[in-house]
Amino acid sequence: MSLGLRALVGGAFVMAFAALGEVLVPKRFAGIVSAAPSVAFANLLIVALSKGAPYGQREAQGMIVGALAFVTATIVGRWLVAQWGGLKGSLALCAVWLVVALGGYAVVLR
Amino acid sequence: MTGVRDWMGASPKKLKDIRAGELAQRFAFGAAVSLAAGIVGLLAGPRAGGLFLAFPAILPAALTIIEKKEGRRQAVQDERGSLFGAIGLVVFAVVCDVAILHLRVAVTVLLALLAWAVSSLVCYLASEALRVRSGRGR
Repeated sequence: MSLGLRALVGGAFVMAFAALGEVLVPKRFAGIVSAAPSVAFANLLIVALSKGAPYGQREAQGMIVGALAFVTATIVGRWLVAQWGGLKGSLALCAVWLVVALGGYAVVLR
Repeated sequence: MTGVRDWMGASPKKLKDIRAGELAQRFAFGAAVSLAAGIVGLLAGPRAGGLFLAFPAILPAALTIIEKKEGRRQAVQDERGSLFGAIGLVVFAVVCDVAILHLRVAVTVLLALLAWAVSSLVCYLASEALRVRSGRGR
């Protein structure tokens, strides 16, 4: 039940923030919304309410490492998207995020 | 681009250009990432699951669609802007970590969302001001 709700609400928030990003101009400004806490907002709310604030706090601690990985990925991603285009570049950006996030998890959180 | 009005604006007419399929694609991606965060949390603990709350869930679909409609240059501009949002995402997570045990959960998450918006915007405006001062924003 909780997983289904998280998926449903997370999807809705991503869709809403993406629509907001379409409306904003110029694109550099709209890009801020491309890194909105769309998944985090609803998920942290649901998890903390259903499993308690301490569980939500531990998820937030994991998210700090994930967000730092996101910062790293966007710095590298600028070059990746310029070279490889939107689809390949952003998939490579996600791969960079995964490597940095898992590395950060292994070093800092485990 | 020479002033704050040129740096940030909205064009609601563009909402009409969004196709249902594009929205469905974004919904599916957001749902999949949320599900992944939940499953990883169950299997490996909440800190591991929390990593995925900061997964770049909007970017792949957004950049692909922008490139298709407006070209690669605009996709790169959007990606550059996402750096400021990502910095705000760190602030969002830190606010949640610090406040969630002391405030109501809903208040904490709303406060964190506000902190994300303010910090992202401040970083963006500072960057634009620097671009103009250095002559690159003209």
